[in-house]
Amino acid sequence: MAQHKINYTQDGGLPVALTSIDKIVNWGRSNSLWALTYGLACCGIEMMASGASRYDFDRFGTIFRASPRQADVMIVAGTLTKKHAEFIKRLYDQMTEPRWVISMGSCANTGGMFNTYATVQGADRIIPVDLYLPGCAPRPETLQYGVMLLQKKIRANKAGRAQKAKRLM
Amino acid sequence: MRAYKPKGNVQAKPYYTDRYWKAPQVAKFDVESDEVFSADLAAIKSKFDVKEAFIQVEQMTVWINPSDIYEVLEFMRDELEYTQLSEMSAIDFLEQRDEFEIFYQMLSMSKRKRIRIKYSIKNGQAVDSISKLFRCADWSEREMYDMFGIEANGHEFMKRILMPYDWQGHPLLKTYPLQGDEFAAWYEVDKIYGKEARDIIGPELRDTAQVDRYDSERFARLGHEVPKGMDPDVEENKDKTQSYQEDGGVFMIKKLDKESSKVIDDPQR
Amino acid sequence: MAQQTNRLTPFFENITFDREDNELVLNFGPQHPSAHGQLRLMLHLQQEQIVKAHPDVGYLHRGMEKMAENMIYNEFMPTTDRMDYIASSANNYGFALAVEKLVGLEVPRRAKVIRMMILEINRLMSHLFWLATTALDIGAMTVFLFAFREREYLMDIMEGYCGARLTHAAIRIGGVPLDIQDTFIAQLKAFLDKLPENIKDYEDLLDTNRIWLMRMEEVGTIDTDMALSWGCTGPMLRASGVAWDIRKEEPYELYDEVEFNVPYSDKGDNFARYRIYMEEMRESAKILYQTIDMYHECVKNNQTELMAHAPQYVSAPKLDIMTQNYSLMQHFVLVTQGMRPPVGEVYVPTESPKGELGFFINSQGGAYPYRLKLRAPSFWHTGILTDLLPGHYIPDVVSIIGTTNIVFGEVDR
Repeated sequence: MAQHKINYTQDGGLPVALTSIDKIVNWGRSNSLWALTYGLACCGIEMMASGASRYDFDRFGTIFRASPRQADVMIVAGTLTKKHAEFIKRLYDQMTEPRWVISMGSCANTGGMFNTYATVQGADRIIPVDLYLPGCAPRPETLQYGVMLLQKKIRANKAGRAQKAKRLM
Repeated sequence: MRAYKPKGNVQAKPYYTDRYWKAPQVAKFDVESDEVFSADLAAIKSKFDVKEAFIQVEQMTVWINPSDIYEVLEFMRDELEYTQLSEMSAIDFLEQRDEFEIFYQMLSMSKRKRIRIKYSIKNGQAVDSISKLFRCADWSEREMYDMFGIEANGHEFMKRILMPYDWQGHPLLKTYPLQGDEFAAWYEVDKIYGKEARDIIGPELRDTAQVDRYDSERFARLGHEVPKGMDPDVEENKDKTQSYQEDGGVFMIKKLDKESSKVIDDPQR
Repeated sequence: MAQQTNRLTPFFENITFDREDNELVLNFGPQHPSAHGQLRLMLHLQQEQIVKAHPDVGYLHRGMEKMAENMIYNEFMPTTDRMDYIASSANNYGFALAVEKLVGLEVPRRAKVIRMMILEINRLMSHLFWLATTALDIGAMTVFLFAFREREYLMDIMEGYCGARLTHAAIRIGGVPLDIQDTFIAQLKAFLDKLPENIKDYEDLLDTNRIWLMRMEEVGTIDTDMALSWGCTGPMLRASGVAWDIRKEEPYELYDEVEFNVPYSDKGDNFARYRIYMEEMRESAKILYQTIDMYHECVKNNQTELMAHAPQYVSAPKLDIMTQNYSLMQHFVLVTQGMRPPVGEVYVPTESPKGELGFFINSQGGAYPYRLKLRAPSFWHTGILTDLLPGHYIPDVVSIIGTTNIVFGEVDR
C-alpha cells in the first residue's frame, strides 16, 4: 500500500496555497487534457502506443475519450483524405471551447508523402491547428513532448478573459 | 510557343530516354510444359474460344472473349476447382489502342495453381458482372468502376467505393494527373466552406521541395520552439525558446531538476 | 464572413430514410473507437437486430496505386509501409518479392534468413496488436496493456535493426540493406523464451472468461463457402475450415526448410479466429527459433552476401560504390533513373499476417510500373461484413470487426 507523507508544517503550517484564478484554471485545464480518439492511419497506432503500458499517457492527465463532446484536444493522427475532410470539421465543431488541435505526423501537417489527388494537403486547410508534430510516424515521445508544449501554451494564456474562438476564416 | 505535351498519358516520365534501349521480355513458356495447366487449358478450349495462352512466372495467362467471362469463370469454379477469385481489375491502354485490359486472378487450392484470365474491352464498353459467382467481385467491380469508369452489367449497386459519391473523374486513368485536377484541388474547400472561401484558404501547396526551416509562422524546430512569428536564431530570442516548465515551476508542480533525475540507459530494464 | 462556420448540413439530412416499417438506420463511424480506423457502417436495425449492413470504405484512400505509377520501383518501397502499418515489413517483402520475380533475381541465403526473421517478428507484432485492440474493444483492458508491453519489446528489436518503430522499410529489392545488429539474436531469444508464459497469461485471462466467451462463441460464423466466395484468406479462411497457408502450400523464401504447423478450425466463429491467432503466435515463435539456427549456420559457412548480384537492377555494395568507378555509375543510374524491368506481368502472393497479400505488376519495360494492383486481404474482410452482420445484434458488431482484423491503410490503399 502506498503511503502519502504530507508535510503539515510547510507554508506556515497551513494546507493552503495562494494563487491567481488564471493560474489555477489553467493548471486544471493543462493537466487534464482529454484527447479525442482520432486515429486516422499509421500515427493512430503510435497514439495508441502512447496510451498503452510503456509510455503511459495517463501520467500527463491525458485520457482518450471517444466522444468529441467530452474532449479538449483533438490529435489528428494520420492522413486526412478528401473524403474524410467533412468529418473532421463536424467533429471539431462538436468539441466545446476551449479546444485545441494537435496535428500529428507529416500527413496531417502537409499531406506528407501522399502528394496525391485524394489527400488533403494539411489539416490546417480545414481546422485551425495549434501544434504540428514532425515525423512519419512520430514516436510516442514526440507526441508526449507535443502535449507538454501544448500544456505550456495553455498556461501562458489568460484563462479569465473570454476565449476568442479560433477560426480558420 | 508553348511546348506540346501529349494529354493521353500524364503520368511521370523518366527525364532521360535511351533511344536504343529495347526492353527485354519476361520469359513466356508453352502451356505444354506444365501438366496441370495443359489439362485445364484443354478443358477450357473444349468449350470456349481461347485467343492466347502461355505461362509467365509460374502462372498461366489465358486470353478469352469478353462475352464468355461469366461462363468461363463458372466452368472453372465448378469443374476445374478454381474456387477463389483473388483479384480482378483493369489496366488502362486507352492511349495505345483505346482499350482496357481486364484481368481475373484465379486460385485453385486443391491444385495449388493460379490462372489469370484476361480480355480486353473498348473504351466505353461495359463488362459482365460476376458478383453472382464470387461475392468478392461485388466490391472489386465497384472499385474498378470508381477507378476506371468501367461499368459492370448486372451489378446491383454500381456506385463509387473508395472516392466520395460526388467525386468527378476516375483517378487511375492515365489521363488523370497524380495530384488531381481542378475539381480535386478544391473539393474539400468547396464542400465545407463554399466556393467563396477559395481566396481565403488559398491553393494547395504541392511543391514537396518547398521547405523553410526558419519559418516560425508555420513551423518550429524541435528543441528551438519560440512563440509564433519569432525568429529562433536571433540572440535576444534565445531565452524565449520554450521549455517544458517555466522558471520557478508551475503552481503545484515541482520544477524538473535534471541533476536529481535519473536517466534510464537500458531500455530492456 | 468572420463568423461563418460551414456549409455542411446536419448529418441526418444526408441519409435517405426510405424505410417502410419500424427500421432504424444507425450510422457507425468513420470516427468510432472500435472501428479499427475509418470504417463507416450504415446499419439498418429492427430493434437491436441488424437486418442490413452497408460498409462504406475509402476514408483512407490515399491513391497508392496511382503513386506507384509515378515512382521508380525502389521509391515505392516506403509507401508500402503505410499499407498494413501494423506489420509494415510484410508489405515491403511482398513488393520486393514481386519485383524480384519480375526481373528474376536470386536473393542470397543470408538475406533470406534475415527476411524470414523480420517477417515473423512482424507477424508477432501484428497478432499482439490484434489481440490488444480486440480485447480492448470487448472490455479486457488488462490484455491490452499486457500485449502492448510485449509488442514494445519487438519494436525495440526492429528499431535496433532499421531505426524505425512502425514504418520499417527494412527490406530492399534484391535482399536486405543491413546485417542484423549484434544484440538482435540475444534480444530475440530473451523475448521468445518468455513468449509462451506471456501467451499463457493472455489465455488465462480470456479463455475461460465468461464475457469473452459470450461475445466470441458462435458469433460471426463464416462457413467455408462464404469464406471462399468472399475471397477470405489468412486466419479468416483457416478459421472456416480451409487449412490454406501460402507459406506452406506455395513456399517462398526458406519456408519449405522450417517446420511449423498450420492451425485451422472448422467452427468459423469469432472464438475460432481468436484461437488461430494465439496458435499462430506459437508457430511464429517456433519458426523464429529455427531461423536463429539458420542464421548461425550462414555465419559459420561465411555466407556474407546480403544483396543479389545483378548490376542491371541492384546497386553494388557500398564498398564497391566507393572504390570502383563503374559501380558508382551503375548506382547513379539506378538511383536517378531507376531500374527497368522486362516487359511482362506478375502476380505474387505472400502470406501477410492478415492473409494473402498480393502484388500484381504490369511492366511495359519502363522505370515506372505501368500498373500496380495491391491485393490487400483486409479489403474483402471488410466486404464480408455486408453478408456477415445481418442477423447479429449491435454489440456483436464490435467483436466481429475486431476478429476480422481489418486495417484501413490496406483496405483503402
